[in-house]
Amino acid sequence: MNQEKKYWKSEIELKPNSAIDQLRNNEFTEKLPVDENIFTNDSINNAQTDRRDFLKYLGFSTTAAVLASCEGPVHKSVPYVVQPDRIIPGIANYYATTLYDGYDFANVLVKTREGRPIKIENNKLSSYNGYANARLNASILGLYDSGRVQGPTINQQDVSWENFSNNIKAQLSSLKSLNQPVVLLTSTINSPTSKKIISEFINKYPNIEHIEYDSISESSTLDAHELMYGLRALPYYDFQNAKCIVSIGADFLGDWQGSNYDHDYVKGRIPNKNNGKASMSKHIQIESNMSITGSNADLRVPLSLSDQKLFLAHLYKKISGDSSSIQSISGDLVKKVNYTAEHLLSNPSQSVVVCGLDDLSAQIITNRINDLLNTNVKSKTKVSLARNGSDSKVNSLLNRIKKGDIKGLIMSGVNPCYTLSNSNDFAETLKKLNFSVTFSMKIDETAINSSHVAAIPHQLESWGDFEFINGEYSLTQPTIKPLFDTKQFEDCLLSWSESQSSFYDKIRENWKNNILDSSQKWNSSLHDGVYSSNSTINLNSNNLQYSTYLSKLGSINNDGYDLIMYSKIGMGDGQQANNPWLQEFPDPLTRVSWDNYITVSKFDAEKIGLKNYNESNGALNSNYAKIKLNETELKVPVIIQPGQAKGTVGLAFGYGREIGIKDEMKTGVNAFKLYKDFSKSQKVTLSSVFEIHEFACVQLHNTLMGRGDIIKETTLDIYNSKDKEYWNPIPKVSKNHIETPVNSSEVDMWTEFDRSIGHHFNLSIDLNACTGCGACVIACHAENNVPVVGKEEVRKSRDMHWLRIDRYYSSEDNFSSDIEKKENISGLGESLSIFGEMEQPSDNPQVVFQPVMCQHCNHAPCETVCPVAASAHGRQGQNHMTYNRCVGTRYCANNCPYKVRRFNWFLYNNNNEFDFHMNDDLGKMVLNPDVVVRSRGVMEKCSFCIQGTQSVILKAKNEGREVEKNEFNDAVACSAACSTGALQFGDINNKESEVYKRKQDDRVYHLLEYVGTKPNVFYHTKVRNIDKNKSI
Amino acid sequence: MASHYEAPIRKPLVTGNKTYHQISVDVAKPIEGNANKQWWIVFSISLVLFIWGVGCMIYTISTGIGVWGLNKTVGWAWDITNFVWWIGIGHAGTLISAVLLLFRQKWRMGINRSAEAMTIFSVMQAGLFPLIHMGRPWLAYWVLPIPNQFGSLWVNFNSPLLWDVFAISTYLTVSLVFWWTGLLPDFAMIRDRAVKPFQKKIYSLVSFGWSGRAKDWQRFEEISLVLAGLATPLVLSVHTIVSFDFATSVIPGWHTTIFPPYFVAGAIFSGFAMVNTLLIVMRKVCNLEDYITLQHIELMNIVIMITGSIVGCAYITELFIAWYSGVEYEQYAFLNRATGPYWWAYWAMMTCNVFSPQLMWFKKLRTSIIFSFVISIVVNIGMWFERFVIIVTSLHRDYLPSSWTMFSPSFVDIGIFIGTIGFFFVLFLLYARTFPVIAQAEVKTILKSSGDNYKKLRDK
Repeated sequence: MNQEKKYWKSEIELKPNSAIDQLRNNEFTEKLPVDENIFTNDSINNAQTDRRDFLKYLGFSTTAAVLASCEGPVHKSVPYVVQPDRIIPGIANYYATTLYDGYDFANVLVKTREGRPIKIENNKLSSYNGYANARLNASILGLYDSGRVQGPTINQQDVSWENFSNNIKAQLSSLKSLNQPVVLLTSTINSPTSKKIISEFINKYPNIEHIEYDSISESSTLDAHELMYGLRALPYYDFQNAKCIVSIGADFLGDWQGSNYDHDYVKGRIPNKNNGKASMSKHIQIESNMSITGSNADLRVPLSLSDQKLFLAHLYKKISGDSSSIQSISGDLVKKVNYTAEHLLSNPSQSVVVCGLDDLSAQIITNRINDLLNTNVKSKTKVSLARNGSDSKVNSLLNRIKKGDIKGLIMSGVNPCYTLSNSNDFAETLKKLNFSVTFSMKIDETAINSSHVAAIPHQLESWGDFEFINGEYSLTQPTIKPLFDTKQFEDCLLSWSESQSSFYDKIRENWKNNILDSSQKWNSSLHDGVYSSNSTINLNSNNLQYSTYLSKLGSINNDGYDLIMYSKIGMGDGQQANNPWLQEFPDPLTRVSWDNYITVSKFDAEKIGLKNYNESNGALNSNYAKIKLNETELKVPVIIQPGQAKGTVGLAFGYGREIGIKDEMKTGVNAFKLYKDFSKSQKVTLSSVFEIHEFACVQLHNTLMGRGDIIKETTLDIYNSKDKEYWNPIPKVSKNHIETPVNSSEVDMWTEFDRSIGHHFNLSIDLNACTGCGACVIACHAENNVPVVGKEEVRKSRDMHWLRIDRYYSSEDNFSSDIEKKENISGLGESLSIFGEMEQPSDNPQVVFQPVMCQHCNHAPCETVCPVAASAHGRQGQNHMTYNRCVGTRYCANNCPYKVRRFNWFLYNNNNEFDFHMNDDLGKMVLNPDVVVRSRGVMEKCSFCIQGTQSVILKAKNEGREVEKNEFNDAVACSAACSTGALQFGDINNKESEVYKRKQDDRVYHLLEYVGTKPNVFYHTKVRNIDKNKSI
Repeated sequence: MASHYEAPIRKPLVTGNKTYHQISVDVAKPIEGNANKQWWIVFSISLVLFIWGVGCMIYTISTGIGVWGLNKTVGWAWDITNFVWWIGIGHAGTLISAVLLLFRQKWRMGINRSAEAMTIFSVMQAGLFPLIHMGRPWLAYWVLPIPNQFGSLWVNFNSPLLWDVFAISTYLTVSLVFWWTGLLPDFAMIRDRAVKPFQKKIYSLVSFGWSGRAKDWQRFEEISLVLAGLATPLVLSVHTIVSFDFATSVIPGWHTTIFPPYFVAGAIFSGFAMVNTLLIVMRKVCNLEDYITLQHIELMNIVIMITGSIVGCAYITELFIAWYSGVEYEQYAFLNRATGPYWWAYWAMMTCNVFSPQLMWFKKLRTSIIFSFVISIVVNIGMWFERFVIIVTSLHRDYLPSSWTMFSPSFVDIGIFIGTIGFFFVLFLLYARTFPVIAQAEVKTILKSSGDNYKKLRDK
């Protein structure tokens, strides 16, 4: 049957027919309307172009030329010629590294996409500093700062690194031969290898002296520690198991000694009913400014500086039994001292006192109290090496420079022309030196005054190693090839000391020889980013004359106002002032962005004539206060801060930068001008200036108005003794005159679909665990390409944050009194006056933080109202926002009871009106390629990081496994960034998951549950450790 | 048709001893004559305002909604306030021409043409706002259920905004058809009188070949009745559906079941006020006092008084229900309306809408031309504030106090509003010069029953 098959096209082919053959051979049977010999035809060759034809050709060619000249935008992208084997387009790579900028530090993971770092995440392998704060989360944007120094300069002229090094070496050698002193001024060096390199460098040039300088000094704590224990270090506290924490002016949850304490602190603050009865630590905070630590405390006592010292002194007397006489305190304060002492002594080994006062005596007395308590909370084996600067050394250096004793200055990690109180003098003296070198990423205040500027790479382009806590080592590795012609400080020192090896070689060598034990491999340490040696120290206290220190605490000066300077969560010491994310980050307490200000109590504000008021569009204004400290005068805007101690004012460092930053970022005033003698507290005089300041505040209403179902609260006693129904009832609605719980299907007008199939995402938010630190806000900003809108727009209440942390003050002494007051309103007249009163926060209010993002309601009000169905519900519980379908009616935002939807009022990218990172090519490198950049006119909001959850699902699918129980938590920016576990994300259909377990807790409630939106975000009732019966 | 007898106690609806011919002359006069100086002045001002408004719209569309004063909490303010205000004004026309036709109210004949013109022009203004308030107005056609190539994408039939699209487009269509049908015999009359060929051509076109045969008249009457029947439910439905924009939401102050009747009453209230505003001027300028008599104005004032009272009742019911509900958010929303930062808007609304129409109980006042004119303007100011109060004061302080803020209009907000007023008057002034502003064919039908000369003859 090998016969060739024949296919018929039709049955006609059966009968032989000539017509068919003809058709088959000749496709076009009829004559085609074309001239026979088209190119030889004379009629064409002789044809003329008549007027009409001419116009046709002209028209066509003009159109064609015009069209050809309209070129679309050209985006240059270079494909891989040889694809790197570790980089798969679309798949993120993570590298463990350590971030340290001289102020903040953490062991982190860096998420890179196609070789470009785009996000900072926490390193769970790190047991001490594994959580990045808001500033470190934002620091990634510094890598892509278009204002970076792109190569070394000498006297503002670009030079090559070779010339630069030769020039410095020549200078150093000549000064060495003349034996004229040169100073190496750096931020605290806590890198073991850097220390070695510096000492080698000093060996090579013995005329060099190394001085460490912290922009915000912790010298008194260091001095006290050195005096008492013979070791210059900061005490390390382990709050995990603390039962009672007393803090005197220490903002240990915010910015304190580079602290990373919130994770441990919160462990003791969550009332888990493990064996029937929950316990919590007791936290008493004595402070002047309202800090986030104070707002998390169970008892907060606002006191002026001198009263804080007296409080400490009396507390010490109470605990030590010391009988020396010191100035007495008011009866009320005595009660509080007794109350505090009682709590400390009830469980001495698990109680601790921490002190944030810039005062040697206070620090010594604090250490002494802790020693007397024999506390385990203050570590006996670990110390923090995060700060090492010495005020006296820096002061003597400044004097020597002034006198002309110093000939050269090499600076790294410092910006003294900004951070010194007499920075102008310093800038002048810099110019008199033979040479001054600044290692800097920016032409900042110091760099502009230095003869030599060495361009350094960003931390994400650098190598490094660190020991922030004794025995706890960590590594920094580059996550991207340096973007510019930069060189690390250590590499420069090595080359100036004529060493052939690089910093990287030195680190490896040092780690191999001195740090890693024989079983530990370099590669695995580099992979982990951290290495813990088991080395510990023993702190033995020297005997000191404590009574003399005690008496010093008693000597007080009551003239003028106490100015207490602090650093804001958003800005720290001001290094990142050019970071738009941080500028737009609202302060957790005042909720003001783009500014610093003095915080003043209502009492003092009225006395001095300082005001806050709102404009017709709600925007917050103030007049100015003039702060006078000796000859220094500063004009500062004012925020009336509930909880500010009378007679004190607060002012944040980090603002008022002038050089090396964009105009938009030149916000606030420079508090370092008042940082005389490196003391954060100063006596100042205040007066009001009649001039209006405009604030950009994202929360214009401060109190909760007695709305107890927004923040549910209870006390530990009630929580332990009463039923859930008493302190966390589910709201009821009436149906046919029967009270029905609002979550019952009886009162649900929608038919529910089966949500038990597949994943169903929920986010749990524990109000006990949230300290208000704001790391999640920045993480969300970075992950989701949220635009920065600038001060003017924030002022118009158009901030774009997908996740906000609402802060409420109580109007009475506490929130429960607010509710009581509201419920006892009788009659219309009273309601008018009482609601008016409830708009005003109390003088020392209770504070609560509540993170709010899209609640992903199962019955979402936004979804039903969108005419084009751009807002729709997902099977996994998310409420989706389809940007490219949105026509921008804003109805969804109006109908959202949580007001979490954000509208693109303008085009926020590629728009010179919004000249932030999304307006330049370098800054745009930080954008997450998995999240679309929204155009103007569309609504946007939290997506539950769907790009993250989908990638987890895909990964599990590719690997042929089920998703692990808590795998989703790290895929979502906010919950991954949360250091305290306040935010926990996951799949409630997985009964093993943490979020499922949390959902079963009695403390669970939903925000505005009675509206019937059935959110997929749930909150945990805040439990406060307050004993109501005891009056204090 | 009705008989030529009308009770002697009824006041004549046409005064000044008119004959049929005189009616034709009077109605055709503004069209055939030249515009006077005042017309040109008012027209120029309106045109300038209109152009200014167009500029503001272009600025908004090219730059972004951010040029308005809106913010994250208050997502609608002047835009939707103006929308509802204009839609409300557009209510009187259909009510007058359809409902009053069904009820055989003959006094409507003097005013229905202009009232309907006003309806159409104000619905046009209203229609602008849903378009330009969109973030991406160039995609506005996505709200129409048209087959598309986006896959299975379809509009969301749950959304009250979509219902708005249908309600308003239906209303505009029916009103336009109704208006034009009524215009046919009148256009034909102008056509027949026209001497200039161009004018004749235009009016021939727009009168759709009306010949005045008995069959034409029969069909005219039939279609008028059918359309009146169709338009009557629309009078109720349009503003009911507009009120659903708010009533179906979950925001305290919006989520209110009383809204549909309350909005309809408010719409008729503001619509009649606007008719009064326009006609009091027009009867003077176009010498139409014989057709739009004091009695017409008095009757409209009575409608204003009644609907004003209904609206006042609704305001008080809202307050009562807020208290009676026991819902704290609801209670606070209304307390905040009356005593919060926008108290002045609330009390402006209360004064203008509830108190001022009550003065119409006095015969002396409701028959005073000047007073009627003033009140008609006051009522529309009040009705603008009513929508502002509902929209802005409900939004600016809703559930979570952390989001509370304020709203303040930008120059663009104001510019666009003024622009639509300009646009409205441009249209209306052009209409007054080119259209027969009195339904003369209909007025002629009542001349013998309600014309003062005929009445006098009968009385003798």
